Amino acid sequence: MGYFLDTVLDSTTAMCVTALVTMAITLIFKTSFTTNFAQGVISAFGAFVASTFFNKMGWPIWCAVPISIIVSAAIAVLVDVGIFRRGRYVNAVGKQIITMGLISVIVSITPLIFPDLKYFATNFLSGNISFVIDGYNVTLAKNALVSVIITTIVLATIFITLRYSKWGLSVRATASNEYVAGMMGINTHIVTAISWGIAGGLGALAASINATSAEIGVYFMTEYQVTAFLAGIVGGFATFHGPVIVAMLIPFCTNMIIWFGNGVISKLTGDATLGASIGNWATTIIYIIALIIIFFKPNGIFGKKIEKKV
Amino acid sequence: MDKRLKQQYSFDSLNVQSKTSKPIAKNVRGIFKNSTFQYLLFGAILIVLLLVSVKTPYLPYSWYGGLISTACFSIASIGFCLLMGYSGMASLGTGGFIGIGCYSVYYVMTLSGLSFFLAILVAILIAIIIGVIVGFISLRIESIYLVILTLGLSEILRNVYRVLSDSINIGRVEIFGMKILTADTMYIIVPILVIIMIVTKNLISSPTGRAMLAMKNSTAAAQAMGISVLKYRLMAFIICTVYASISGTMLILRNGSATASSGTSFYALITSLNILAAVIIGGYKSIWGAIFGTFVMYGMNTTILQNISFLSEHPELVTIISGVLVIVVVMFYPGGLAQLLQGFKGKISKLLLKIREAKYGKDLG
Repeated sequence: MGYFLDTVLDSTTAMCVTALVTMAITLIFKTSFTTNFAQGVISAFGAFVASTFFNKMGWPIWCAVPISIIVSAAIAVLVDVGIFRRGRYVNAVGKQIITMGLISVIVSITPLIFPDLKYFATNFLSGNISFVIDGYNVTLAKNALVSVIITTIVLATIFITLRYSKWGLSVRATASNEYVAGMMGINTHIVTAISWGIAGGLGALAASINATSAEIGVYFMTEYQVTAFLAGIVGGFATFHGPVIVAMLIPFCTNMIIWFGNGVISKLTGDATLGASIGNWATTIIYIIALIIIFFKPNGIFGKKIEKKV
Repeated sequence: MDKRLKQQYSFDSLNVQSKTSKPIAKNVRGIFKNSTFQYLLFGAILIVLLLVSVKTPYLPYSWYGGLISTACFSIASIGFCLLMGYSGMASLGTGGFIGIGCYSVYYVMTLSGLSFFLAILVAILIAIIIGVIVGFISLRIESIYLVILTLGLSEILRNVYRVLSDSINIGRVEIFGMKILTADTMYIIVPILVIIMIVTKNLISSPTGRAMLAMKNSTAAAQAMGISVLKYRLMAFIICTVYASISGTMLILRNGSATASSGTSFYALITSLNILAAVIIGGYKSIWGAIFGTFVMYGMNTTILQNISFLSEHPELVTIISGVLVIVVVMFYPGGLAQLLQGFKGKISKLLLKIREAKYGKDLG
């Protein structure tokens, strides 16, 4: 039980990061109708900015992170206004290629601006909270707790805004049909730009949270981004909550498989290497399960079936 | 009747006799217009260029690396071109599929001690199985969703590679008792590329190619015409995966080693994206376009840009330039550079027409 709880708590940071990245990807997917491959590198750029202010200039972390969010948001808005707005009639795959061109550009520019940065903060808040269950010492890092609180507040705010505010309504209208939304008087340009901005900001926040446990680099968010895409499909891009829920489940389930291998199989068989090897296959198993779900529910778990007219 | 025919024949023979030089010129032009000949010529030129860069100082050695990478990845690009340009489906699984080739060679050759060509066969077989799986999935999911799904599949494959054996090293391959050195790999890679080009061209012009094109433009209309969507989608994906897998075998033949966990390995997301970009830049409906696009993504950097002294001092600018190039092409030339060339050709023929009109007056007939 204790080891189980420890595993659950271990996945909290990853869950927060994936949820934030997925929200960002979903926002862009719904308003710009494309998957933003550059999301990862824009987020990473944010982490570099935060690191500069925190590590080099000695600013407090609570200032560095918001600055990084603003910078990333500004870059994302610039991308939308400068590139996507001009290529509005480029098809979805074309837009994907544009974002991949952006990857090349940002990946090369980042080391030019931040030549020797490798680490960001070790923690938002240092220290652990520990308690004993079943004679097993369970620890929860305060940093993880802070991450969960921040993520919850941010995501809740976005969901509430999407559901109840005028901006949320216009986003939902643009998502369902950009052309008609424009005819009804919604300024879709602004809606898209704001969505990109929020996505950029969310990315930077996710990168900062991730940077507390990983070495920062231009590609350090790519793995989460891929998970987010898959979560989007499994959850169904038709809704906003579907992808986010699935995104939180993916790291959780991965850790559960690792726990199953190490905690259950190893104990039952007395063979520690067998348990560890199951842990090695965790990501693969999760991805295969995701593919099977998609095969049987092509519109995603929370998606709606769209009738296709010939 | 007979008389008239006779007259006609005699006229024809007279014509031929009087203008003997023209048909020969026409024949020569005809040969040059023959795509098979063009591909063979391309292969020959490529080998000559590679030889010049290896054996002589006229071309820098960096050309060898750039051109041979282009040749290897071109095989995958051509398959992707068929998938995207002719069946209207996109995929981001190319990286994972390339890995099939690499790992087949590794396991067949180093562990079983069998020959390289058998390894290619095994790679093709595995690729067919994976292609069938993706093909079946593509029946239920379309467009951008399919792209992400193939991305997921590619990640699964990469994870499998990582767990099986993170880094593989086959060293230098022996074929028929001869050790193939890095500089000699071109004698295998270039002919295979040319064969792939010829096969693909024939496939495109065959009823299969036309059926795929029909399916791309309207699935419903194609079905109404009696085209089996299942068959052709499966076929498109199988071809794409098989080509990518062959490309993988060529890459491992040339490089000798690869690491799965590295972010820049052959089977990482970046390869899939680069191949996609190559096909888009070149023009997704033309084999030449795919090869040129691959050259832009994989060859231009080492062959041309790095030899410009300003750019070799600032290597990061090279990636920025290629990124900007990708964005600009997609935004302004959605048909790729092939379309740009076509437009250029059209402009030239219009100009020629104008010159002719100025010379001889307007053709009123």
